[in-house]
Amino acid sequence: MLLLQQLINGLMLGGLYVMVAVAFTLIIGMLNFLNFTIPALFMFAAMMMWATMTGNLPFGNDFLLSAFGEHHIWIAGVVVSIVSICIVSLIIERFTYRYMKAKYGDATEHALPLVSSLGFLIIFEHLVISQWGSDPLQIESPFGDATFTIGSLIFSIPQIISLALSLGIVFLLSHIIRRTKLGRALRSIAERPDTATLMGVDVLRIVPVVYVITGLLCAISGILFTINYTSIDAYIGDTVATVAIAGMVLGGLGNVWGAVVGGLFVGILEVFSIYIVGADFVKVPIWGLLLLILVLKPTGLFGHSAIGKGKF
Amino acid sequence: MAGNVLAVTGLHKSFGGLKVIDEVSFDVARGSRTALIGPNGAGKTTIFNLLTGVYPVDAGSVVLAGSDITDIPSKDRVVHGMSRSFQNIRLMPHLSTVENVMLGQHARAHSLGQLLFPLGLVARNRWRAEAEAALAEAGLDSYPGEVVANLPYGVQKRIEVVRAMISRPQLLLLDEPAAGLNDVETRQLQALLEQVSAIGVTILVVEHDMHFVRNLCDHVVVLNFGRKIFEGSPEEVHRSPVVLEAYLGTDEPGSGEGAAGAA
Amino acid sequence: MSGYVEAQLIILCLSVIYAYAIFLPAASGQLNLGAAGFITLGAYASGWLNNADGLGLPMGVGMVLAMLFVGAIGFAISLPILRTRGVYMVLATFAFAEVVSGIAINMEFLGGAAGMPVDAHAPVEIVVAVAVAVVLFCFYFMSTRLGLALRSIHDDENVALLFGVDVRTARVVAFTVGGMLAGLGGAVYGHHYNYVEAQTFNVLLSIYILLYVLLGGTQTAWGPLVGAVFFTVIPEIFRHVAIEMGSDWLADSRFIFFGMFIVLMMVVRPEGVVTRTMQDRCAGFLSGRRGRARRAAE
Repeated sequence: MLLLQQLINGLMLGGLYVMVAVAFTLIIGMLNFLNFTIPALFMFAAMMMWATMTGNLPFGNDFLLSAFGEHHIWIAGVVVSIVSICIVSLIIERFTYRYMKAKYGDATEHALPLVSSLGFLIIFEHLVISQWGSDPLQIESPFGDATFTIGSLIFSIPQIISLALSLGIVFLLSHIIRRTKLGRALRSIAERPDTATLMGVDVLRIVPVVYVITGLLCAISGILFTINYTSIDAYIGDTVATVAIAGMVLGGLGNVWGAVVGGLFVGILEVFSIYIVGADFVKVPIWGLLLLILVLKPTGLFGHSAIGKGKF
Repeated sequence: MAGNVLAVTGLHKSFGGLKVIDEVSFDVARGSRTALIGPNGAGKTTIFNLLTGVYPVDAGSVVLAGSDITDIPSKDRVVHGMSRSFQNIRLMPHLSTVENVMLGQHARAHSLGQLLFPLGLVARNRWRAEAEAALAEAGLDSYPGEVVANLPYGVQKRIEVVRAMISRPQLLLLDEPAAGLNDVETRQLQALLEQVSAIGVTILVVEHDMHFVRNLCDHVVVLNFGRKIFEGSPEEVHRSPVVLEAYLGTDEPGSGEGAAGAA
Repeated sequence: MSGYVEAQLIILCLSVIYAYAIFLPAASGQLNLGAAGFITLGAYASGWLNNADGLGLPMGVGMVLAMLFVGAIGFAISLPILRTRGVYMVLATFAFAEVVSGIAINMEFLGGAAGMPVDAHAPVEIVVAVAVAVVLFCFYFMSTRLGLALRSIHDDENVALLFGVDVRTARVVAFTVGGMLAGLGGAVYGHHYNYVEAQTFNVLLSIYILLYVLLGGTQTAWGPLVGAVFFTVIPEIFRHVAIEMGSDWLADSRFIFFGMFIVLMMVVRPEGVVTRTMQDRCAGFLSGRRGRARRAAE
């Protein structure tokens, strides 16, 4: 029964990794680079959530409190997070993709977007640190300890909701990619970035959409993380994203459903590793697994062999 | 020494079911200047890539100066005496002219001592001197230290030839050397190739410009749809109805120009 | 030398050593995001070889052996890791560093998560000497035919292959020697601070080192030196100026500007601070007279 409980906890944690892993996999699949702003976006969303709920925003705290009231301030947090992440995503798109694309041809051939995204990671982490410090910050969960039990198994309601939400969002996303006009444009960029323009796809208008989608995935994941685990710090993005990367690799680069399976799996693996060998040892199984996959079967479980082979 | 430098026999290559090279055989006589021509998509560049080992062959054999090189890895072919230039210039953009040429010497540096000799730090050494001399001979001594990416196109084309030559090949493969050059640059390139030929190196060239081919080459192999359709002197090719039909029979506008050049 | 300047000098020297370690594979077009792994290995190995409850070897011997040990590990993992390309290689080296760190934390004989004290002390002179030696070595290395081959692979590996360059071996050498240098850097770190703690060698360290190299430029051997000096010294100067101006906030926010600088660099100077063309111009400027004289003679 204890093992089953761990499995449930692992799935809940995995649900959060899923969205971050999907964000990574989308950018790699579409634009062929490892986007290190994803941890920054995750952390920034979590921080905005915390700051709104605890009245620590640089401005507008009183207004939000009077507009939403003390009990619904978490809704204000969600709104503030999502709006700010959308804006930030568009800014990042400019500097990691658009300028390079315009000036140096195929940006994916170079390490430029990778380096710029690392630059953004540094900017956001230090913005947050200079504003709120690097110590862990706590919030009070707006839903308290809402749980229900089946037999001796404990289910946290917010966690169940967040798992359902995360899978629902990914399902919606994969529907968009498969069935809509936007999705067709996205797939054509992913397959032949150089000829997509010729086929009538406006790459410069679609790429920002990809960034906003990945930004939203990070934002929702960051918000849910804050509500469920109630303790965050400036480096939370790194911690979560590194595990999510492992999940993405396991599922295969560029494959959305692979990232879902991989994300859930690493969540479970992490919880079990902590349970069996202790928190200190948790890196070894996760990263050892990742290293083995990369060396033995770089395409992961469901990956496409052409993705990620370009220079960086 | 008479005989053939290169003997290609029964070469086959398919890409995913599409036959690109089908039963192609030809010989390149030592000291000759042979051209490989044909309409777009005839498989000329593919043959070069098969000769240099960029792709493995499906069937057939490639014999270079008496040794069978069909299955040896690319990096070892240069030792057997084969070197090439590329359709789109592929010099190392971040290396200087002289460094690019010194890359051509790589296969001749066998010992660890030669690999670890500080070429860039010792101002006068035999490798550098040789590379500079080769550039000077080709009339390119005005820019030994410059990064090649900043040089004119025609100069880069000639540097490619110098780089290929310094590996001391018996057979020099040139992939569309005259493409994109103006008249002056073409003449300079041709003069350089005459020099190369004069010291006994065999030249095999893929070229669209029939004028260039007639000026330079003494033997022509014509390909179409991956097959050899004709072989002979430039004059014979010029008169051949088979070749004319191959060029006119396709709807490619580019090959129409080729036909005009051939006619 | 004041304590403060000395402390900064040490950080600078270590950064330079680390940067050259990552530069060697980067010069052949391979991104290694696993610097922290090699540094961890070197620091622990050298410390343990030297410590009384380890093998008790003299510091110099320990450092050399540690370097060889890290080189051997680097060689062993280079064979599988260099099979991976692009993003996969970035991820694989990154994963390697995390595995090393995870294992180091769990080795009780290495002090576990609490870290390991190191007996022998390496004074500032040794740190500087090692850094200078590493820089000189890398300048030499990049000037050899092997270095030329690595730079060719960076530009166009298929052409390098056709001119007889053994691309795979060259890459293995660059990766392995780079690993040895990172291990040496770790050894120096451990002996200078007399304490090794796996958590200090984290992902951020690997990221910063890779940034020094890419921002400095991978085309010439000057790149990592300029990158490491630039990005360790400038933020410190910035901090001082900010404190002089009485703004603690500005002093604390220097990394925000550092990040912005990186992003802007990629827009205006994507090939790094030092490019090949720039090196030529500087050399031409410095030796202007000699160059003209030579041209006249010819």
